[in-house]
Parts: sequence; C-alpha cells; structure tokens
Amino acid sequence: MLKFIFKGIIRDRSRSLLPIIVVIIGVFITVLMSGWIKGIFSDLIDVNANFTTGHVKIMTSAYAENEAQIPNDLALLDVDELIKKLNSDYPHMEWVKRINFGGLLDIPDKNGETRAQGPAVGRAVDLLSPHSKEAERMNILKSIVKGSLPTKQGEALISNDFAEKFGLKVGEKVTLFGSTMYGSMMFKTFTVCGTISFGSAILDRGAIIIDISDAQIALDMNDGASEILGFFNEGGYNDVMADSVKASFNAKYSSADDEFSPQMFKLRDQNGLDRYISLADSVSGLMVFVLIIAMSIVLWNTGLLGGLRRYNEYGIRLALGEEKSHIYKTIIYEAILIGLIGSIIGTALGLASVYYLQENGIDFSGLMKNVTMMMPGVYRAKVTPDLFYIGFIPGLVAMTLGNALAGFTIYKRKTAKLIKELDV
Amino acid sequence: MEVIKINNLVKRFPMGKGYFTALNKINLSFEKGEFAGFVGPSGSGKTTLLNIIGSLDTPSDGSVIVMGKSVSDLTYKQSARLRNKHIGFIFQTYNLLPVYTVFENVEFSLLLQNISASERKKAVMEALEWLDIADKAKSKPNMLSGGECQRVAIARAMVKKPEIILADEPTANLDSENSHRILQTMKKLNEELKVSFLFATHDEKVMKYLDRIIALVDGRVASDEKNISKLEIKV
Repeated sequence: MLKFIFKGIIRDRSRSLLPIIVVIIGVFITVLMSGWIKGIFSDLIDVNANFTTGHVKIMTSAYAENEAQIPNDLALLDVDELIKKLNSDYPHMEWVKRINFGGLLDIPDKNGETRAQGPAVGRAVDLLSPHSKEAERMNILKSIVKGSLPTKQGEALISNDFAEKFGLKVGEKVTLFGSTMYGSMMFKTFTVCGTISFGSAILDRGAIIIDISDAQIALDMNDGASEILGFFNEGGYNDVMADSVKASFNAKYSSADDEFSPQMFKLRDQNGLDRYISLADSVSGLMVFVLIIAMSIVLWNTGLLGGLRRYNEYGIRLALGEEKSHIYKTIIYEAILIGLIGSIIGTALGLASVYYLQENGIDFSGLMKNVTMMMPGVYRAKVTPDLFYIGFIPGLVAMTLGNALAGFTIYKRKTAKLIKELDV
Repeated sequence: MEVIKINNLVKRFPMGKGYFTALNKINLSFEKGEFAGFVGPSGSGKTTLLNIIGSLDTPSDGSVIVMGKSVSDLTYKQSARLRNKHIGFIFQTYNLLPVYTVFENVEFSLLLQNISASERKKAVMEALEWLDIADKAKSKPNMLSGGECQRVAIARAMVKKPEIILADEPTANLDSENSHRILQTMKKLNEELKVSFLFATHDEKVMKYLDRIIALVDGRVASDEKNISKLEIKV
C-alpha cells in the first residue's frame, strides 16, 4: 500500500513537486533570514568586541574608571607575565594586549617644517608577530585603501580621510606628538606604509594604527598595555562563559584595595552593550518568531489546500472500502514525507546561502560614511546551531498540521457527501 | 438467498428549520443475482437509496440489512470493510484515480484486502481480460475513451468478486453504442458470476436490460415490477 501511495506522490506533481518547491522556498527564506538577522546583530557585537571590548577585557580599576580619557598613566604593567598566566588559566581563549593613545599628528613639508597638523586617535596592536590574528580580527587588511600593513617598526597606517585631507602620501613621514605613560612629552616619527578606511566615521576620523612594540617604546610603556583583550577561541561571544572567566579571574587577580590591580570586564559590562545585547536578543528573537509564524501560515495553507484539492480522491477511496483512519494516516505520512524532503533541501540551501553571506557579507559601507556609531560596513549572516532545525518548524510541523486539518474534514463530513461530491 | 433487506426505511435531511424526507417507508428485498434498478425523476431518492445500501449513509428510521449486517449498526471501520469485501461501486463519471494506470486502479481494492502481489496480478488481469481491456493495463485513464473508462470502473468493482454492485447512472456519459456494450458486459457478469446489480437510472437503455424495475416517486416506491421483458414503468 505504501508503494502504491508513493507512486501516486511521484507521478502527481501537484502532490509532490509543487508542495516540495513551496516548502523548500519557505524553509529557505526562514533559514536565510534567520541567519541574516542573527548575523547583523552578531556583527554589531563582534565589531565592538574586536575593536574595543574583547569578549572580556582586563584593565586596572583606575584605568577602567576613566577609560574614555585613555589614561595610560594608569595602564597595566608586567603584561607579558600576566598573559602567560592567562594562557595557562584559560587555554580556550586568546589574549592580546593593546595600547590606545591620543595625540597630534604633524605632517612636515620637504624642509621639515610643519605643513599640516591634526588631532589623532591611535591604536597599537600586535601587527608584527608572525602568528598574530589582530590584523584579521580588526579587518585591517581588507580596510587598507593604499599601501600595505606595517612590516617593521616605525611604520604606521593612517586614516585615508586624514591622508586625503592633508595630502599625505604613502612613504611620507608623520610625527606623533603626545605624552608618555609617566607624563613627559613624546614625539616619534613614522613612515606612512598605507592608508586605511573602516567605513565608519568613528573609526576613521584621524586614526593612526601602529605596532604595539612601537607604542611601548614611544609611550615609555615597557611591558605595559592599556588593556588586555580576551577572545573565545570557538565562536562568538558567550555570556555564560564570559561570566565564569570574569568571576574566576577577578577572584584570583583583582583586589578592591589596589586601584592598579587588574580587573576583568565582560563585553556586556562595557559601553552600554548589556542593554544593546538584551535588545538585540529580543528583537532578533521576535523577528525570527514572526518569520517562522508567517512561513508557517503559508505552508499550513499549502498543506490545507493540497488536502482539500484531493477531496475527490478521498471519496473514491472511501467508496472502494478504504477506512477513514487509513486515508487520514496516508495524508499525514505524505505531508511528513514532503515536509521532510522540502525542509532538508530548504535548510541545506538556506545554510549554504547563510554560509556564503557569512564569508563574504554585503558591503554597506558606502551608505555609512557619516555614521558615528560603531557599526560594521560589511554585514554578514551567521551560521548558528538553531539554523539546522529552525526551518523544520514551518516546513515539517506547519505543513503536516495543515494537511492534518484538511484531512480531518474527512471525519467531519458524512461519507455519502464525500461520494456525492465526486459526481460533478 | 437474500442479500439486501429494507424495512420501513426513512431518510430525512435537514432543510432550513425542518426536514426534507428523501425516502419514506421503503420496504424492499433483493435476492442474490438480481439485475434490478431504481428509476424515477431527479430528486426521487434513487441515489440516496443506493448510498444507504452501500453503507455510505445511514437511515433516519427503519433498517437496511446488507449481507446480514444492519447498516445503521456498523462502525466506520465495519462499513468500510463491508464495502471493500461485498460491494462494488460504479459511478456516472467513472471516478478512476487519474495518476494510476488501469492495472493499478483495478488493483486498489485488492491492496486493501492484503492479498499477495501474485494473486492480485492474477485477479486484476482476469478482470481486465474479462472486460476486454487487458491491452490497456498500462494506460492511464486520460488515454482511454469514455466506454473504456467505464469498463475499467466495472473491472475495479468486480475484481474483488463482490456479491453486490451498485451502479449510479453508469451510462449517463456514454453514447448509445458504448452504453449497450457496457450493459451487455454487466448482464454477462450478472449471469455468469451471479453478482447482484442495483442501478439508479433514468436511462431507457438501461431499463431495457433490467429484470426488475422499482419506480421511485417522491421517496416512495410507486411500483416494483419483477421479471419484466419490456419497458413499462408506472411513474
């Protein structure tokens, strides 16, 4: 009997191909949009994590209190030793040191006289170590407009906006004026090895990026750093794990009595991200929920219409002596089979598309030139574990329920009415 | 042997705030091997009576005993089994399943009886040969003429060797030549296999073949003529 029913499904395209295509499309849209929505919110969090907050961040308590002022006189010391301990205590995380600084960039003319000057916000990250992931993490390589990454000490990347504004070219010199960790005046000349544009005004205005060893020398921060950022090796931000790491670190290394003792903050503790993440979770959850409901209604109706369209067939089968319960079971089996095939194909296609968008993204930086929020220029989708099953809710469950409801009318209608409706 | 016994059958359908009485105090019985028909104008209750005999509907009052079983007392499951084992249906519009071949359409009722594949094949081919459509076994219904479709429907009804075949306007969609061929086939089936045939019809061609004509008027039996050789209906 099952073979007989299967033959019918295969031969009748309106029973097989058409509903399968509808299910595939519905599931595909559900998976793609869910991945896209999660990706966008996740991108916003990742940008903050990669540029400023890490998944967790260590600063001195005193530095943390005045972080906006970049008080490097309150920076961490003995960071290499601390990082060694962190690597031992938390081997599932990567730890990187960073120095933030402010200053004045002076551009000399051919005689060495000041041609132009402008305020600059600097970041010093590990660009020269062979295994450093910092350039990749901050998307520096893809953001370089002209030139290349620093390959040796004394080289700097300058904001492309800044360079264009002051007619600065790759290979020319710039001098950074500022103050050392101990408050004395410093100046250091760098060769511009490239210009950079992150596509976000807040990151691009007067930015200078140098290797951390240069900053340590220039700012007299030997074995010091403004902050140490920690990133989970697997996947993105995980609040539960961050909480656990924070608690254990602060219990072990932090002291309430010592303002220079290191203190760990998780991503949610910083820059008002707690509210943002809660909001993002709620909004993305709501959007995915609405999407699933909408797709469920579409596929429910597909199942319902598919079932009602076969009223004629059910009448014939009843007349030939098939039991109502048997017909009902076959309707459900068919719906499950079609829902399953459609959901598997739709999920596979959706995941492939989400993966493609995760790797390549869509570049909206052209539309965000004057955006002052820290937002990514390239928006990516994100493959998350729930994408592997989320499409089955509309694809399998709603489709089956729609068919079940349509099939239920067999019980509700009088048998004679089913037969009478045959003779049209 | 009595295959159908109808006692004081009343069938009412709800209509507005009241009821419409489709069948009123019908008393009939049919012996095995009868070739009988209900005749009468539209709305006289022919199809309703066939539906109740076929356990597709139930009486409002009275009783209908088919193969010793009261239609009113059967569960869905029991009435399905009664139809599957003992009753064959032939419809005006053939009602073949369009996606299946002729062979598969005829085979369907046997699938419900859990008969082995080899036995099913033998029975189906016998039925098709009997109706002279064995060469169409692999054809789909849309490749057949109206007459061929109705022969497939007859094959489907007879393949399970039922005691009763109920035929509702079986010639309504056929031309004169095909109608006669179909009726001759049914008559042959009736005579050789002793299958009881009950028709609902107002086609004079059908009436000429019937051994017993029951005229229905407004849900009542107006006349019941047995062993007739010529058409003479009192309506």
